Amino acid sequence: MKVTLFATCLVDMFQSDVGKATVEVLERLGCEIDFPESQVCCGQPAYNSGYVKESKEAMKKMIDTFADAEYVVSPSGSCAYMFHEYQHVFKGDPIWEPKARKLAEKTYELTQFIVDVLKIEDVGARLEGKATYHTSCHMTRLLGVQKAPMILLNHVKGLDFTELPGKEQCCGFGGTFSVKMAQISEQMVDEKVQHVEETEAQYLIGADAGCLMNIGGRINRQGKPIKVMHIAEILNSR
Amino acid sequence: MAMKIGNENFSDRVGKGINNSFMRGAVSGAQDSIGARRLNAVEELGNWEEWRSHGEEIRQHVLENLDYYLEQLSDNIAKRGGHVFFAATPEEANDYIRGVIKKKDAKKVVKSKSMVTEEINLNASLEEIGCEVIETDLGEYILQVDDHDPPSHLVAPALHKNREQVREVFTEKLGYKKSSDPTELAQHAREMLRQDYLTADVGITGCNFAVAETGSFALVTNEGNADLVTSLPQTQITVMGMERLVPTFEELEVLVSMLTRSAVGQKLPSYVTVLTGPREELDVDGPEEFHLVVIDNGRSRILGTEFQSVLQCIRCAACLNACPVYRHVGGHSYGSIYSGPIGAVLSPLLGGYDEYKELPYASTLCGACSEVCPVKIPLHDLLHKHRQVIVEKEGKAPVSEKLLMKAFGLGAASPKLYKWGSKLAPSAMNPFTSDDKISKGPGPLKAWTDIRDFPAPSKERFRDWYKNRDKGGNQS
Amino acid sequence: MTGTIKNRDAFLNNIAQNLGRNRLSDPVKRPQWKFNPQAKVLSEATEDELVEVLKAHCEKINTTVVTTTKAGLTVALNEAVTNYGGGPVVTWKDERFSKWGLTDLFKNEWPNQGLDYHEWDHSAGDKNIQFAEQANVGITISEYTLAESATVVLLSNKDRGRTVSFLPKTYIALVPKSSIVPRMTQAAQKMRELHLDGKNVPACINFISGPSNSADIELQLVVGVHGPFKATYIIIEDL
Repeated sequence: MKVTLFATCLVDMFQSDVGKATVEVLERLGCEIDFPESQVCCGQPAYNSGYVKESKEAMKKMIDTFADAEYVVSPSGSCAYMFHEYQHVFKGDPIWEPKARKLAEKTYELTQFIVDVLKIEDVGARLEGKATYHTSCHMTRLLGVQKAPMILLNHVKGLDFTELPGKEQCCGFGGTFSVKMAQISEQMVDEKVQHVEETEAQYLIGADAGCLMNIGGRINRQGKPIKVMHIAEILNSR
Repeated sequence: MAMKIGNENFSDRVGKGINNSFMRGAVSGAQDSIGARRLNAVEELGNWEEWRSHGEEIRQHVLENLDYYLEQLSDNIAKRGGHVFFAATPEEANDYIRGVIKKKDAKKVVKSKSMVTEEINLNASLEEIGCEVIETDLGEYILQVDDHDPPSHLVAPALHKNREQVREVFTEKLGYKKSSDPTELAQHAREMLRQDYLTADVGITGCNFAVAETGSFALVTNEGNADLVTSLPQTQITVMGMERLVPTFEELEVLVSMLTRSAVGQKLPSYVTVLTGPREELDVDGPEEFHLVVIDNGRSRILGTEFQSVLQCIRCAACLNACPVYRHVGGHSYGSIYSGPIGAVLSPLLGGYDEYKELPYASTLCGACSEVCPVKIPLHDLLHKHRQVIVEKEGKAPVSEKLLMKAFGLGAASPKLYKWGSKLAPSAMNPFTSDDKISKGPGPLKAWTDIRDFPAPSKERFRDWYKNRDKGGNQS
Repeated sequence: MTGTIKNRDAFLNNIAQNLGRNRLSDPVKRPQWKFNPQAKVLSEATEDELVEVLKAHCEKINTTVVTTTKAGLTVALNEAVTNYGGGPVVTWKDERFSKWGLTDLFKNEWPNQGLDYHEWDHSAGDKNIQFAEQANVGITISEYTLAESATVVLLSNKDRGRTVSFLPKTYIALVPKSSIVPRMTQAAQKMRELHLDGKNVPACINFISGPSNSADIELQLVVGVHGPFKATYIIIEDL
C-alpha cells in the first residue's frame, strides 16, 4: 500500500525522530512511503489566529502537493484535522472546494490509519515501563479519533498502562494561545503535568507534537523524571 | 450591573482570577462534579446525539421564523389579558418597567434569577426611583447582600464564594449569628426572604422559555423562589431575551429536559412552572396584572450573520463546566456577566469588540464547549470566526502579529522559503541552545520559554534524513 | 379582558430585515421534526414498571413514597401528616377528596384531634395565603405523574391555590396510579391537546419533583430553601 507522508513542520524541524519512527513503523507494516519535498506548513497557526487569507496560499500548496496521493498519513491528529478543515475554508470555491474534499477523504492520522485502514491492532511493539496517554483535543474531538491509539497501546508488550486523570482537558497548547495567553496556558499545563505525575508513569505518550512540546517543555523545565514520547516512537520500540 | 463587570483590563482580571485559590478550587471542583453528573444524565438516555439534533432543529427553526413566533406569542398573551412590551434597548425596557412600578406605586420588588435583567441593569434602574429590589435565588441573594458582587457562573452565580465568606457577609449585613453551615445560612435567607415575598408589590422574573402557541412561559428552579415570586405579589413583570421561545408545549418539554440535564445533570429540577397570563378571575394567588417585556439589545444584529447560531443558546452553562480556560480563570475574568465559552462568543457581539476583543483568544479551540452544547452551537468555530473578524474586518490585531503572520503566509506557502528557513533554524537558534533545548528564547519565543523549555531544532531535519536515506545512506 | 401590545411592528420588522426577508404574513407551519427522541423514553414500560421507576427516582430526590389503596388512603394520609408533625394542614378544595373517602378525616377526625385544618376557599381571599404560610403540611393531587423524574403535575384554578404546595413546611401529593405516565412528554401533549380543543391551558401549571433545594453555597445540597423541607407522594394503586 502506498502512503504519502505528511510529516508536519514541528516533526520536520524539531522532532525528526518522530518522523523516522513513523516511516519505520509503516514500512514494517508493509507500506511504501513517499515524502513529497514540496510540503510546507498546513497553515494552522495563522488560520487559528484568524489570518485566514494569509493561510490560504499554504493550504493550496498542500492540496496540490498531495493531489496524487492514494493515502495521506500524518503523525499528528491536529494537522491531519487541518486537512479535513480545508474543505470548509474553501466552501463555495468551484476549484478548490472539490480538491479539498478529495484531500480530506484520503487523509488519516497515523494510529487511525493503522487500525482503520491497515486493520492492524498489534504492531509487534515492546516497551517495558509504566505509561500514560494524553488525548489531544483536535484529534479526539475534531478528527474523532478516540479508540485507535488505545487499541494499539494495549497491544504493546511490557507496557503498564494507567489512564490519565482529567484526560479530556486540554493541555493548554492551542498553538499561538500558548504564547498569547501565556499566563492561562501555564496554569493549564501545570494541572496536566500534575495529573501525569499522579499516574506515576515513566512515559507520557501522545499523538500530537504540539501538545507534547508543551507538556514536555514544562516537565523538563520542572526537572521531572518523565519521558515524553510520541506514539510513533512507542510503536517503533522493539 | 450591566453586561460589563469591572474596569480592569483583561490581563489583570485573569491574573486576579488565577491568584484566587479558593475560587479556582471551587470552579474546578464544580466542573468535575457537575461535569460527571451531566455526563451520566445524558448518557443514560442512550441517544443523546439524537436529542442534540432535535434541540438544534427546534432552535434553528424558531430563529428562522422569529418574527412570526413573537407575533403569535404576544397575541396569545394579550388574549389572556397580559400586556406585552417590545424593547429594542435597555433604556426602553427600563423605562417601561419603571412606568409600571410607578403606576402601582410599588415600593418593593422581589426577583427570581434572570441574566437578561442583569444585562439591562434593571435593578439599579429601579433603585434609582426608590424601589427596593430583592433577589431571591440564594446565590443571587448572597451576591446582592455583598454589595452587588457580580455573578461568576450562569447557573451557580456565587460559586466563587466559600461558606465562611457567606457567613461574614450575612453577619455584617443581616445580623446573622449562626455558623457557616450552608443549611443554617440558607435557613436564615429563607426567613428573611419569606417576609419579602409576602410584602412585595411586584414580582420580576426572567424567562427560560416562552411558548408561542399558548402565550405561556416556563421558569425552572430548584429552590422554588420563582414560584413565590409569581404567586404572591399582585403585579408580575417577566423579562425575556427575544430569542427564548419555542413553538408549542411539545418543544418546551424537550428543551426543559435538555436544559436541566445539561446544566446540573438533573432529569428535572424541583420546580418547573408554566404560567399563562395573569391569574383567572376568581383565583386567590398569582398576579392580577401580568407584563412581558421582550428585549432585543443587540440580538437582532446577530440574526442573518455567521454568528446566528449563538442565539440557539438555552443558558445551561454546560460549556462553562467543560471549559479548561474557565476552569483556571473563573467567571469574573471575562469582564462580562456572560462568561465561559458562550460569554466569549456572545459578549463581543452584544457589547462590541472594543470592550471584549481578548475573549475570542482566551480559548485553545479545544472544542470541549461545542461537544457538550445541547443545541449544537459550534462555539469553538464561532470563537475562530471572531478572530477572523478582528483580524480582517475590525483591524484590531497588533501590528507585530500582522507582520509575523504575513511573513508566515509567504514562508509557509513557498516550499523554497520554507526549506530555507527551516534549514537555517538550528544555527539561528544556536546562541540560545544548550543540551538540545532552549530555555530563554528571543522575541515571541520568550512567552513560551518563560514557562517551558523549547526544543532546539533537530540537527538534521526529517526531510534531510529522508533524502539521505533514499540514497541508501541512512537505512536502518 | 384583552391586554395591550406595544412597539411590536418596528421590533418585528427589524428582525425580518436582519433575516433578509419581509415580515412573515402567513402562519408558519411547524415542520415535521427529523428527530423525536423523547417519545422513546420508557415507551415500552408497563404501568407497574413505571411505578418502580418513579419510586427509584424518589429516593434520589429526598422524597418519601407511600403505596396504598383507596380503602387505605385515610390511614396512610393521616400517618403521613402525623410523621410530619401534624397540623396546621391546608388542602385544595377538590371533590376528589370526598370521592376518595377523606371527608371524615378532614372535617371530623382532624378537628376533633385539635388539628387545625383549612380547605382552600377562594371567597376568603388572602386568608387562604395567610393560613398556608403558617401551615405545617400542604396537600394537593397530581393530575399527571412523570415516572422518569418523579414529578407531580398540578393544574391551578380558583379552588386549587398555587401556594398550597409552596408555602407550608412540608408537602404531600396524592398520586392516583392511573396518573402515572413515562415522562414530561405525555403531560406536555395533554396540555397541547387542551389548547387545540379550544380550551385555555391553566394559568399556572406546576411540575414539582420533591422538596425545595439549593446548592448555591459550595455546591452543598441544602433541602428546604424557599418551599417545603420534605415531600411525600402517596400512590393510590386502585385509582
